Amino acid sequence: MSLELWIGMLVAALGTYLIRLLPLLWMQKRLTRREANGPVDALPKWLVVLGPMMIAAVLGVSLVPRTPDAAGWLATLIGLGVTLVVWRRTRSLGWPVVAGVITFGIVVIVARAVM
Amino acid sequence: MGVREAVPLLGGYIPVAISFGLISTQAGFSTAETMAISTLIYAGASQFLFVGMIASGSPLWLTVAMTLLINVRHVVYAPNLAPWLPRSRWWPWLMHGLTDQIFALAHSRLPQLPESQRVGWFFGAALLAWLSWIAGSLLGAVAGEWLTSRWPLLGEVMPFALPALFVVLIVPRFTSRRWAAALSTSVAVGLLCTLIGLTNIGIPLAATCGAFCFYMVRLPETTTPDRGGRA
Repeated sequence: MSLELWIGMLVAALGTYLIRLLPLLWMQKRLTRREANGPVDALPKWLVVLGPMMIAAVLGVSLVPRTPDAAGWLATLIGLGVTLVVWRRTRSLGWPVVAGVITFGIVVIVARAVM
Repeated sequence: MGVREAVPLLGGYIPVAISFGLISTQAGFSTAETMAISTLIYAGASQFLFVGMIASGSPLWLTVAMTLLINVRHVVYAPNLAPWLPRSRWWPWLMHGLTDQIFALAHSRLPQLPESQRVGWFFGAALLAWLSWIAGSLLGAVAGEWLTSRWPLLGEVMPFALPALFVVLIVPRFTSRRWAAALSTSVAVGLLCTLIGLTNIGIPLAATCGAFCFYMVRLPETTTPDRGGRA
């Protein structure tokens, strides 16, 4: 990379960092000012709603399989089903993901062999 | 504990990082430059855009502006976590690790942890994710072509860890019909955006649609989500 490109990359990196950092500093100041009301009350209502919506949006974006053919979609559907069943039984983070990934892999292999 | 709970993220991070390393070197960046981009920018979609635009000869200012524009969605992450972050001089440094996935994980887990464990938890989870992203980029830059030809299925199966993790994080928040409708809208719009090629704008757009649905749709049961619920 040329010097100009290095500077451009560093500006992009610094900007990305500030996008993550500055809102934290803003909210921490706001929380300090309103500490008497309790921390959660100091959080604007729209932020309380937007947080879970962002997670749901990340889920939606990540749902599309790498190879979006019939086998990929079938594996996604069954993989999610197994993930949810294991989550209901274990109420943990790790096991449902492991079960989901294994199921996804098996369904992709079997479906491609059959179709 | 943070390291252990971030392990599922590796399934999504490493294959994508390998792809980035491969694409970056194919675009003319050296291994060291690829590593520097992954270490310093550390934001998946915008990194792909950065190397892609540079390789296609786009003006540098436009490349930087587009990179930052894609990352603007991160603006809402830290304020959402702030109520659960105990005072520590480490937080400003740790914000470098606040990716989409770490936010999703932390937003669900931090409220459940004792205050004394939160900095350590976040440090462990964010560090593991960051190092895996850098390691994956290195692997992709050095041996990406060989890896993808040798185990093509692995690159397809491992990324399923991400939706599997997110579904586990989001399901406990379906606490009422109102939340269920809003969250489902967000998931559906995010999915639709990706299908029509609007991946970069998909997350903020889908979240906005979900929030809009939350405020517009009034259903009988209107309880707030159990913020301390077990993920």
